[in-house]
Amino acid sequence: MISRTKQWLQERRSDFCRSPFGCLVELFASRMFRGAGDAEAGELDLGVGVVLVLLAMPGLLVSLLMLEKYGSLMRFLRGEGAFDPFKATAPDEYLFIVLSVSVTAAAALWRWDTIFLDRRDYANVVHLPLSLGAIFFANLCALLALAGVFSIVANGASVVLFPIAVVGSRPSLSLFLRFAAGHAAAVFAASVFSFFAIFALAGLLTALLPPSAFRRVSLSIRFASVVTLLILLSTSLTVPDLLKRLSITNLHRVAVLPPVSFLGVARTVWIGANDTFGATMARAAMVAVGVSLLTAMVAYTLSFRRSFIRLPEVADARPLPRISYVLSLLAFSRKLAFGSSTDRACCQFVSWSLLRSTAHLQTLLCFLAVGLVISAEVFAPGSYHFSAGQSTVPAVEFLSIPFILGYCILVGIRFAFEIPLDLRANWIFRLWLDPDRHDARSVARYVLLLFSLSWMAPLVLLVTWAFWGWAIALFHTAMWCASMLVLVEFLLIRFRKMPFTCPYPSFQSHSPLIAVAYLFGFYIFKSWLPELEEWSVLSPINAFSIVALLGSALGGLRWYRNQMLDMDKRLTFEDVSRTTFW
Amino acid sequence: MLEATNLCKFYGSVMAVQNVTFTLEPGQILGYLGPNGSGKSTTVKMLTGLLEPTYGEVAYHQQNIHKNLIAFRKILGYVPEEPNLYPHLTGEEYLDMVGTLRAMPPSRKSTRISSLLELFSLWPHRYVTLGSYSKGMRQKILLIAALLDNPDVLILDEPLSGLDVTSVLIVKSLIQALSAQGKAVFYCSHILEVVEKVCSHLIVLRKGHVLAHGPTLAVRQKIGKSSLEDVFLDLVDDVDITQIVNDIVGVVACP
Repeated sequence: MISRTKQWLQERRSDFCRSPFGCLVELFASRMFRGAGDAEAGELDLGVGVVLVLLAMPGLLVSLLMLEKYGSLMRFLRGEGAFDPFKATAPDEYLFIVLSVSVTAAAALWRWDTIFLDRRDYANVVHLPLSLGAIFFANLCALLALAGVFSIVANGASVVLFPIAVVGSRPSLSLFLRFAAGHAAAVFAASVFSFFAIFALAGLLTALLPPSAFRRVSLSIRFASVVTLLILLSTSLTVPDLLKRLSITNLHRVAVLPPVSFLGVARTVWIGANDTFGATMARAAMVAVGVSLLTAMVAYTLSFRRSFIRLPEVADARPLPRISYVLSLLAFSRKLAFGSSTDRACCQFVSWSLLRSTAHLQTLLCFLAVGLVISAEVFAPGSYHFSAGQSTVPAVEFLSIPFILGYCILVGIRFAFEIPLDLRANWIFRLWLDPDRHDARSVARYVLLLFSLSWMAPLVLLVTWAFWGWAIALFHTAMWCASMLVLVEFLLIRFRKMPFTCPYPSFQSHSPLIAVAYLFGFYIFKSWLPELEEWSVLSPINAFSIVALLGSALGGLRWYRNQMLDMDKRLTFEDVSRTTFW
Repeated sequence: MLEATNLCKFYGSVMAVQNVTFTLEPGQILGYLGPNGSGKSTTVKMLTGLLEPTYGEVAYHQQNIHKNLIAFRKILGYVPEEPNLYPHLTGEEYLDMVGTLRAMPPSRKSTRISSLLELFSLWPHRYVTLGSYSKGMRQKILLIAALLDNPDVLILDEPLSGLDVTSVLIVKSLIQALSAQGKAVFYCSHILEVVEKVCSHLIVLRKGHVLAHGPTLAVRQKIGKSSLEDVFLDLVDDVDITQIVNDIVGVVACP
């Protein structure tokens, strides 16, 4: 029976794909999932399977944790008695909704550039005997399929596992189904809302802005969206606590958050229309889904008419805005930093690539967004320390902000160095750079410092000065700069590649260890160093211990570097796994 | 018969093409020559129906192509200037997609794809993604895609770009053979030597205007030049080639 159904489905799919419209839908769907797939250019193509696994992982992991939390055996061992599943699970339901919104929106943001048809589609498809209407509807079908796949994959695990964890041990099937239906309705509605909200945003920008302006603001909008999603994710740390403490009918304080509205959907299915707050929130959620869907459709139609059909009339790229004075400043700093013109040219290439390549800038901005959100999280509880005059010594929370941001930016740039930028173009470096004499670390070090210390150090100094006076400002800035310098040396300890010119590093057995090392490093920068600094501010004599600590770290790095073999320091353009991202 | 009548195209207030008129008969190979920015690609886009002319019209068998664009594109084979293909598809998948979008019968489609891949020496690379193809290989894929459905009109925009010597010879002969079979070929190129040898008729374009139009031999005789290169330089470029070369050498050799 199953095999016959499977065969029937395969035949229907095959028939559909053999028709011109089906072929178009398949093409547009595949282009949304795949990266550029240009192997020679070194662009990232994760493949459909990996993408789906990545999307499913958050929901699956949290669902597995719920099995542990609500499992009857575990509850029995913990000595916990019976509970009301609809009331007790509200905070966890909120977490699932937030995950659903964030994962789906992140996936939509990731495929932002492929949501709408582009020049390549135009060149390949429009001259064929197909109507524009067929192209329009085929891409729309592909988009709807994409929304469906994202929603199912992001929520599939939790829709099955969460009800099993919470009410699986209860004898009532109707209770199980009611719980599962409420949860499924909430998370699927949340996913659809977030996907179409991002779709509508991209569509409106494409429809309303000229292509050059769209390209310019696109990255900023995506950055702002990522920050918003991270903030939304971070609310899952505080809002569930509020949900526990506040009575469910007294939740108007947090009702402005979209996930709370979707929580209303779940509650309406669970409890019925008797729950006034839940019903109100559910109505708001449904309106939000409807509005996002409608706006997305209008935006898609407008953008197709205004942007896609007019593609051949629009130039591929406009000149970059003139920032000659900034570039001349950079040129001056390069001249100061390097004696050799080869190094200066390499620096110029790396700096401009980082600023102009969307993929690299996106990576950097993602790390910055994470830094900003963590800083806000760390700072929020200690914000009372911020008011000048109340304290003569800055709080650890305040001191930790530049450390967190600096760490995220430096690690982000270091990560971006590993992303290739059209490998076909690296012949120029292969041709001109002497692998035995050229030191890629100095170029990487310059860029890391240029994109972090050059603008953050004055900012740290000014802000600290404004609140705690020049002495603490100078001390804080000096400590921060010294820590950043040590971090840069750590990040480049085995670095021997020209940034952006090598293929992606392959996964190695020690890669998870490196990830753990980065997390540990983050912990040091978030907690230990600010605490040490506060300790030194309280008693300046303690500052010598920090200086000694940083000095010995630098000395250790230098020793390690000196005892490395020459062949391990030689410039390379291949994937040398031992040097990857370390 | 493909007819372009008083084709004009303005991008805003910028004129790209003005009053281009010609007729492309079956069996004719019409060469379209002009320096960069002269309006060649704009004309090609108007002929394929990708762009609507600001004034004038393109007609196929006395009917404006925009009245039934799908029917016109059914008999059209087009090789665009840039081999901008989907890099995640293999050569065979791409051709299969084109065949399906052209609604070709599956058996005819697969037979033609296999044969053409073999004849264009791409058979060993049929399972390799287009992202890994060289420029010449991509160009061959575009040529196969254009020929796949046996079109009556071929519009070729720099079709020899990136091809090796053998492939160039094959394609040049192929164009002539197709023309002998009654196909109308619109050939847009910079390579004067190829245009001179392949095209029966010629249009020389400069800044959107037609400077010369007629049989290749007649255009050459009319201008009184021995080669097409001389004709082209005489009509199109106001520059002193020797002077420019000397200036470049001067800049390069300058200490």
